[in-house]
Amino acid sequence: MSHANLLSPPSSIPPKTALSLSQKAPLILAASPTSSLPWPLSLLFSRESPESWTIHENLFLSSLRTGDDKSARLTLDRMTTRFGADNERIIALRGIYEEALANTPAELEKVFQGYEKILREDPTNLSIRKRRVAILKSLGRPADAITALTVLLENSPTDVEAWAELSELYASQGLWAQAIYSLEEVLLVMPNAWSAHAQLATLYYLSTPSNITTLSLSLRYFCRSIELNDTYLRGYYGLKLVSQKLLPLLSDSTSLKRNNDEEEAGPPPKLATVKKLEELATSKLAEIVRQYNAGKTGWTGLDEAEVIAAKALLDHGGIER
Amino acid sequence: MTLIGATLNTVGLLFLTHAVYSTHEHTATFPHAPLPLDITIELLVSILVLSAGIVFTSPSLKPIVWARWAGRLSREGRHGEGKWTREGEEILSEGDPYAFLGLDGGIGGKREGRLGFWDVRGKRKEYAEWAKNGGKQ
Repeated sequence: MSHANLLSPPSSIPPKTALSLSQKAPLILAASPTSSLPWPLSLLFSRESPESWTIHENLFLSSLRTGDDKSARLTLDRMTTRFGADNERIIALRGIYEEALANTPAELEKVFQGYEKILREDPTNLSIRKRRVAILKSLGRPADAITALTVLLENSPTDVEAWAELSELYASQGLWAQAIYSLEEVLLVMPNAWSAHAQLATLYYLSTPSNITTLSLSLRYFCRSIELNDTYLRGYYGLKLVSQKLLPLLSDSTSLKRNNDEEEAGPPPKLATVKKLEELATSKLAEIVRQYNAGKTGWTGLDEAEVIAAKALLDHGGIER
Repeated sequence: MTLIGATLNTVGLLFLTHAVYSTHEHTATFPHAPLPLDITIELLVSILVLSAGIVFTSPSLKPIVWARWAGRLSREGRHGEGKWTREGEEILSEGDPYAFLGLDGGIGGKREGRLGFWDVRGKRKEYAEWAKNGGKQ
């Protein structure tokens, strides 16, 4: 279920898909979308379409990934002649190219200094600020990356991509409260993003110390994610996991009393409700697995690994993390 | 469905053209006489047929309920609709509008997304290792 499509690449690109994406390079590099004729004629005979440059950008990224630096350079040159070397996006792509070619940390440091220089000239270049964060992360300096990101977000607080990245960085450091806060900022801008709800629920589920409050919050966010997307496998999977964990805690009345002072999160859900939710998640997961395995039309868009994981959860009670 | 729609459209257009032409001829010949009933009927019928044809050939509606629409996106995935760009890439149906957040793979997931923070060195390393191990998987 992973077509190699350069216009809209699949949501996950394993090396094999990356290879088949970058193998399209000779075909696309064979003919330039821009015309070489002088100005008025070039408008008439241009093969350029809005999709051309998306395809070029994706080709650039996948040839870099597969180490086909020559094609990447050609694609980058073509985009530079079209949009100019001062274009913000082109500057960032050039940065990616230089990062990819840097072999030693010292060379990477040099690219980093180059970014600093660009930012001194134009502090509003957000793409380069993001590249800076990416380099810091790649150099294994997550604390610096977090600081750089917070500066970026102070100047541009509605950048959801950056909030999501910050949340991921905090989570990788085990700072659950901060990760949750960042993801809530994503939800403020995009309250309908089901994946953000599920991610927030996952953060609550993983956060320590794990107690009734965090687990019931996790349950709530998983519920919201399937409320927004009625075939969201991850949502049902999480709902089943969390309710399985919650059920013994809720039936144990002593732990219930201890946590009643948590007013912020509201009262914990009722035992009967959680039981019902667990049944709902089980039946929905079973339906998804059945339909996917039957290979019905209209059910082919699911991720195979996710379906296998769901089947394992149904069969053996899941993989312990 | 498309065949019925196309037929209805063709028939409707023919009748509409015929009715308009007849009206023109009639008013040119008898400027002061009222329009005969058959032309009026033909005009009305042609418009009805044409409207029905347009409804039949229109693309299927999107679900209004958000959850069902989103559910269909994740159930069906992106699929081609028979259109290609000049570079030979197929134009796919709409996909998850929140994929750019890169949150679908869970924490530390390997999904694409957040291209602004694209970790080029990590991806290169991953690919190089895969190629070194014989490119299986």
